[in-house]
Amino acid sequence: MRIEVPTDFGFAEEHALLRQEARRFLGERWPIAALRRSADAGGRFDRGLWKEMAQLGWVGLVLPESWGGAGLGWLHLEILLEEMGRRLVPGPFLGSLLAGVALAQAASAAQRERWGPAVASGETVATLALTEPGGGFEADAIAATAAPSAGGFALRGQKTHVVGGADAGLVVAPFREPGGGIALFAVELPAAGVAIEDEVCIDPTRATARVTFDGVRVPREARLEGDGSAALGETLVRGFAALAAEQVGGAESVLLATRDYAVARKQFDRPIGFFQAVKHPIVDMMVQIELARSLAVGAAAALDHTPSSADALARMAKAYAGDAFAAATRKGVQLHGGYGFTWDCDVHFYFRRAIWDRSMLGDAIHHRRRLAGLLFGEA
Amino acid sequence: MSRPDEETESRENAEFRREVRAWITANKPAHPGFKLPQSFLEVESERQFEFLRAWQRKVYEAGYLGLDWPAEYGGKGDPHKRQRIVSQEIGRADAPFLVNVIGLQWAGPTILTYGSDEQKHRYLAPILSAEEIWCQGFSEPGAGSDLASAQTRAEPTDDGWLVTGHKVWTTLAHVAKWMILLARTEPYDPEGQAHGALRAHKYAGLSYFLFPMDAPGITVSPLVKMTGEGGFNQVIFERSPMPRSALLGKLGQGWQIAMTTLTFERGAAEGTGGGQATATAESIRAVASLARRARRDGHPAADDPVIRDRAAQLWIEEEALRLTGQRARVAGLNMEDRPLATRLLNKLVYSELAQRTTEFACEVLGPDATLWLGDPCAPDKAEWPRAFMNSFGVTIGGGTSEIQRNILGERVLGLPKTK
Repeated sequence: MRIEVPTDFGFAEEHALLRQEARRFLGERWPIAALRRSADAGGRFDRGLWKEMAQLGWVGLVLPESWGGAGLGWLHLEILLEEMGRRLVPGPFLGSLLAGVALAQAASAAQRERWGPAVASGETVATLALTEPGGGFEADAIAATAAPSAGGFALRGQKTHVVGGADAGLVVAPFREPGGGIALFAVELPAAGVAIEDEVCIDPTRATARVTFDGVRVPREARLEGDGSAALGETLVRGFAALAAEQVGGAESVLLATRDYAVARKQFDRPIGFFQAVKHPIVDMMVQIELARSLAVGAAAALDHTPSSADALARMAKAYAGDAFAAATRKGVQLHGGYGFTWDCDVHFYFRRAIWDRSMLGDAIHHRRRLAGLLFGEA
Repeated sequence: MSRPDEETESRENAEFRREVRAWITANKPAHPGFKLPQSFLEVESERQFEFLRAWQRKVYEAGYLGLDWPAEYGGKGDPHKRQRIVSQEIGRADAPFLVNVIGLQWAGPTILTYGSDEQKHRYLAPILSAEEIWCQGFSEPGAGSDLASAQTRAEPTDDGWLVTGHKVWTTLAHVAKWMILLARTEPYDPEGQAHGALRAHKYAGLSYFLFPMDAPGITVSPLVKMTGEGGFNQVIFERSPMPRSALLGKLGQGWQIAMTTLTFERGAAEGTGGGQATATAESIRAVASLARRARRDGHPAADDPVIRDRAAQLWIEEEALRLTGQRARVAGLNMEDRPLATRLLNKLVYSELAQRTTEFACEVLGPDATLWLGDPCAPDKAEWPRAFMNSFGVTIGGGTSEIQRNILGERVLGLPKTK
């Protein structure tokens, strides 16, 4: 298969303006000191920050204008998420974004009207609950079930690592129906029979939860009308692209911090960045990040302009950016030396985020398995 | 900004690409029946050379070379910068490479940048037509990665200079009409000078010449590569004369001009005459096809999950590099604090990726990777182990990967200089 995106990736001046705005706002509103205060306080949801981001139009950035969203493209989102990744912005953004995308893919007119505007405005915190205890999240691996039950459905199963689960007013999740197909359901919270339990997450900027559906009864209108399997696929592609962009941003911060440290820190009477044993790994870090950025930007451009290339590119971006972020944080800790091993050094926050981002929505091993099918002409 | 319903390339460019593709399909020469070189680094025999030269002439006469060069110097003066499209299509069609690589990609654009009007008129058109082949005289036995310590000297005479010294790795020198030559016009003696003066002389004492390879006093002798093939040489100069007109730029400007040449050589700048020095960038597809044919443990190699995983990784990196080249031309998608990164990383990444890809192909082949040129059972006529060995020509030549990492670290990331 040939992968193609527009020569200019669809880039325009408005993208540069969004980057400037995001960098300025997050620089002032979410410096590392704020992140540390939040982490020390248990990393709970910062409702003030959420409201401000919603007011800037970020929460509804790619959601339909008819919902009050900005209706912008995925290159906009790529740029925003790189900036948010740089600052390790906490909270339910990712979950809310993907829940909104899933609604946009599969909801009927009435369902869109019911939930869309509240999700796009940030008034309702929504989340997409995907990963199951066995690690499955793609359509072929979903084990949670939806069974018809007196005028509605009974949902049964568990979803784990749900971003912002404890703060969400709406959860969207895929379930397998008796015929074997997949349907997406939107469940308003709190709901009887839905148990939400905080996870102790390695990343203090991600408040995640285990969400258990214990035969919870939902009305017929909770089942999103569109083809659940196709909608899940489209939502996942966008999730891969989103996490790729965030990982590129996180890795970029580690690169800059490590570069600055290698210039400032002296040993043997020289800045340690003079030594090629230090210099060359930092260069390799940068090279990987630039390659990852090209894939992330490419995946976004494909979603905007050349959708037939989007699935492959988004998987490539998620896989490669995940490895690049992990490698950057690993080397970042190492090259900061003894200081890198302390809580005081900021790199471990990125290290934690890298472990989370890499493993969620499929790691490189997962995506390379799918990509091999394309490369060998079997898919 | 492109709209979703537009093609990914402008209509003119897409049309031009189709035209080029059709022309190549119709005009690509049949395999001549003798072994062809994999790249310009191993052109050995007269018949290989003439076959390749005829192909380049044909491409030029069809109007597909020098597109980006001014019309007054034999180019097309095409405002759309479409030479890149021709190079991509030649690569994708698996057509022969263009033999005058050094002229088209290194010497030509350097002359366009620094040459006098007279020099541009004299040298550029015969580069495009392959009438005059170029070689490069930069490296010396004692000056490899530390190129500025070159000792070959040019001593002034009444009407020019006399060159004395020793250049190595001079690909195509045995068929070249001209050499881009880096030679010392101010002495440099690492043992005998104070440190400050030494440094000044090391760089400022170099000049850049366009040396005629038919001058008396030069000896070109072949060096044999690790593959056992020839195609590159050493050149020994014994008071070889060159005229005043051989100087490019100013006396003492040689280091600066040589760095410009290396920027073109590493694919980090646009404006070359066309062609590409190495195999097509889509080689993982060829390895995937190989893995479908090759068998490991009695099963198709393409069924082995480890083989599949590694092939997918190489595919990802290949696409990432291609998109990085594309992104390098969109200023707003490059980092503000390192706008050159996406260009300067090209040489390091493509050479190392090609090396890993060809090495992987050898692993896919298993025991049959050991069958060498001439064995009737060698898969793809031993193309893969040969390509793996040849890949070192690119990770070492043009500035080693280690030097590339120094350049990226120092020029792009601002880390302290090693030298």
